[in-house]
Formats: sequence, C-alpha cells, structure tokens
Amino acid sequence: MDQETVSTICYLARLQIEKNKSKKIKQDLETIIELIGSLQKIDTSNIDPLYNPLEMTALTHDDVEKSDNKKDKFLENSALSNEDYFLVPRVVE
Amino acid sequence: MSIQFKSISELRAMLDEKLISPLELTQESHQLAKKFKDLNCFVTMNEDFSIKKAGAIDLEKENNSFLLGIPLAQKDLFCTEGLRTTCSSKILSNFFPPYTATAVRKLEDAGSITIGKTNMDEFAMGSSNETSFFGNVHNPWRKGYVPGGSSGGSAAAVAAGIVPAATGTDTGGSIRQPAAHCGITGLKPTYGRISRWGMIAFASSLDQAGPLARTAEDCAILLNTMSGHDPKDTTSLNIEVPDFLSKLNEPIKGLKIGLIKEFNLSDLDQEVQARFEESKKVYEKLGAEFVDVSLPNISASVPTYYSIAPAECSSNLSRFDGVRFGHRAQDTDDLNDLYIKSRSEGFGDEVKRRILIGTYALSAGYYDAYYKKAQQVRRLIKNDFDHVFESVDILMTPTSPSTAFEFGSKGTQNPVELYLEDLFTISSNLAGLPAISIPHGQVNSLPVGLQLIGNFLREDQLLNVAHIFQQNTEFHLSKPNMENFK
Repeated sequence: MDQETVSTICYLARLQIEKNKSKKIKQDLETIIELIGSLQKIDTSNIDPLYNPLEMTALTHDDVEKSDNKKDKFLENSALSNEDYFLVPRVVE
Repeated sequence: MSIQFKSISELRAMLDEKLISPLELTQESHQLAKKFKDLNCFVTMNEDFSIKKAGAIDLEKENNSFLLGIPLAQKDLFCTEGLRTTCSSKILSNFFPPYTATAVRKLEDAGSITIGKTNMDEFAMGSSNETSFFGNVHNPWRKGYVPGGSSGGSAAAVAAGIVPAATGTDTGGSIRQPAAHCGITGLKPTYGRISRWGMIAFASSLDQAGPLARTAEDCAILLNTMSGHDPKDTTSLNIEVPDFLSKLNEPIKGLKIGLIKEFNLSDLDQEVQARFEESKKVYEKLGAEFVDVSLPNISASVPTYYSIAPAECSSNLSRFDGVRFGHRAQDTDDLNDLYIKSRSEGFGDEVKRRILIGTYALSAGYYDAYYKKAQQVRRLIKNDFDHVFESVDILMTPTSPSTAFEFGSKGTQNPVELYLEDLFTISSNLAGLPAISIPHGQVNSLPVGLQLIGNFLREDQLLNVAHIFQQNTEFHLSKPNMENFK
C-alpha cells in the first residue's frame, strides 16, 4: 500500500491523518490488509455470500403516517440550526 | 445490610421482604458508584431522575415485575432520551438523544432504574476499553489492568457490585470477553433476539445487545424482558419468546458438549488450560458427554471479522458528519472541509483505523477480493456450525486466550495483537449464534471465563447449562477486593 492509496482512502472516508501519525497508520493498514488477505487461500467457488446471519429479514410494514414529529428535538442536537433547518457553509455561490 | 455484590434475585427478595425500599436501593447504588469513581466505569450518571423514579415506586400497588425497583447501568451506546449518550467518543460528547433504545425502554418499562451510562471502547471498537475518549476503566480485580471491552464499564460496574446487572452489546465478543476478565456472567443472544433500534450501530449484521450480570439466572431475567420483536428493527425476529427463567434447572444428563479441534488449547497458558480441564470434569460429573468436533473454517474467523466489521462500520459511521448532531469543527472553508475536520477531530485513532480499512475493503477493485470474499467465508463458517449442531447440543471453549492484562501492554505496536483477544468469541457473531461466558476460576488471582456456544435461538439451553454449573460451583460468588479503589 503506497502513501497515495492511503491519501485516497482518507479522502473517501473524509478523514485527515496528522502528519506524525501517517507512517504508523500506513503500517497498521498494511498489517490488517495482510491479515484479511489470508482469506484468499480459502476456496469459495460457488459459495454465496452470507450478508446477514438470519437471511430472513427486511420485513416490510404498512406505509402509515405517524405523528411523532420531533423536529425541534432533532434540530437542538445540531451545532448550528435555525427554526427549520440544519445550517452549513454556503454550497451554492 | 449492604447491597454491594447482590444479584437481582437477592435484591428482589430484599425489596419484597421490605428490608430496603426502592429509593434506598437506588441511593445506595449511587453511593457505591461515587465511592468507586476511580474505576471510571461511568461516563454519565442519572442521579436526579433515577432517585425521583425510585422514590415514586409503590411496591404495594404496582405489579411486581422481577425488575421493579432494581438499579441497572446501561452501556453508553444505547440511546437514552434526554440522558447524554456518547458512545465514549468525542464526536458524541454532547449528544442528547431524542428517543430511548427499545432494549433499554423495555427494561425501564418493567420498573428497573437506570442509574447511569457506562464507559466503553469508542463506538464499541476495542477489546480492552482503552479506546474510550473518557479514559481507561480499571478492572475491579486489579488496578491498572483492563476490564476487557468493549462493554468494559458495564462489566466493571457489575463486578464491583455497584449494580447487580448492566446492558452491553456484542459485535465480536464485547459482552463475553469483559465478563470473563471481570469474573461475571455475560450473554450474547441470537442475532435478532433483541431489537437493535436505538443502539448506535457499529457493524449491523453482527451487533447484538445482551445482559451482563452476576449469574446466569439474572441473565435469564433480563433476557425475558429485553427480547421480542420490534417493528422498528427489521432484523428483530418476530417469534414467540420463551420464559427463559422457567427453563432453568433442567437436568443435563446426556448433554453432548462439543470441543472444537481447531482451537489448539495446548498453545494457551497452562493455567488457562487447567481451568478448562477442571470445568470439563464438573460437567462430566453432572452427566454431560464430551465429543471432539471439527469446524474446518473457524480459524478464518478473525480475518473474516476484520474485513466485514470495518466495512459495515465505515458505512454506519458516515452519518457522523458534524451537520445534524455531534461535534462540529470551527473555522471550516466549505462543506467538504466541515465534514473532514469534524470527523478527524471527533474520532479517535482506532475508529479512524477501522473506517479506513472498511473504506478500502469496499472500494472499487477491492470489494470482491475483501468484502465479498469475507462474506463467502462467513457462510462456510456458518455451515460448519450447522453441521456440528446436528451431533452436539452445545460447544465449549475458553472465552479469552488469557486473563486481563495491564494498560498499554497489548496492541499498541501492532493492532492485530489485540484483535486476537477475540479468537474464541468472534465466530458466534459471524454465524449469529447465542453464546455465554461464565466465570470458572482464576489464573494469577485474575478471573477467567468459560464460553458456551448454543444453537440458533437456544438461549434456554445455554442459560440452563450455565445455571447448572453455577448451582454446582462457587466461582460466580468470588468478589474482588475493592480496598484499592476507595
């Protein structure tokens, strides 16, 4: 894994790694990738992936309107909001 | 009469016999939490509200549920309405949820009293509780030693006798391993048994809530209340929940217990092996039979887990962007900069490491090689379990390869060293199976745990087998000397 790959992954994950930690994080990622890479030696041809141990989920429910609107409570948890919206830096010039 | 180290059943009897009132019980629990504050097992206390709730209980008038007036602690990963919920992360250090997790709500509706929120590894990512933004939790058995993780605060609070029981969550061993290191009983139920709604997600196909308590009987009491279908969690099972308490005390003569050949126990510390052999003898005396079984793919559990869990974590933790809740960075240039700075300031190193691994495993060109591959191996592991449960009732392993260890002594140079702590526990999460850890003696004056893994939805059998062990041994009655924490 080169430093450029590490930078790309960091950007995809919207994370910044401090300069003094970048060498260690690259080393850690390599160690972990090596660990999970050990799975390659297992023959999994014709085996379906098991994404969930139950395999009987994603129940649907009726599309019924519920009246537990907690807008104010949700907005309270934002660092910056007005009475209706979460506020963020300008995205349209 | 002190309430310290009492089980739920003992406290219930004290309440029913009017030896103590619900208010006095909750007050004493808070006093113990203050007395042992150096353990650092709580992140936030719920003192005013809990004392008010306990004071309002009228044992004469109210229907006596087992949990009425019983103080409990909740892992700080369960959302609690109006009570700060941090997941032991800086990013949520000022988060007040607008709702309460179903599992906690059920316990509170049954009359239990939440006295506080317990410390944990940040976002439940860790096996030693050393990744918490709020500092390390001490093991009540030895200061300066880890309590295990990620539910380390819950395990320490129960082991120290502050509360009779606490909630935890288990994604790769996070209930069982701290239970083992702290000398208490911890149950990870079948995936889908308890609603995950209101739990802050780490790895959604592996996460499961469960109880940590002093006995298997108390775990049965808590599981009775916590279980059941919740329309808000589409993975919660819509099936009838048995009365786990009524299934205890079944004789275990003829019970077939499987020993997994692939786990070479001779590699472990001799004393850890010795405790395991002694527990085998206990079960043999009670009429159980031991059978060697093979799970050919089980040694792939750790790499499988460390591909799947980080992948799911990277997706789940994308919601922490500094916009709607959680820490928001100041002085940002634009929206993208706000995301990057808020996340980078808010998450600790282990969380960042796992997000990066997951992002890598899910990225174009690597998805098939890492993520899909791991999910295929996961099926092989589950198939192995399905196969062995055709011939045995239960599987038995040590819970952890070693005892609790000193702060900073594992995983600082190489994170994989700490990942191997979960060697025996991870496979039941991958397969969705229930498993329990019970104390079975000590090594160098520190407790060690015995893990029993049950078949799908057979918590009744698992709890019974654990309960019978505790009826015939006294390991679960051992208490740490708390002199060092006063």
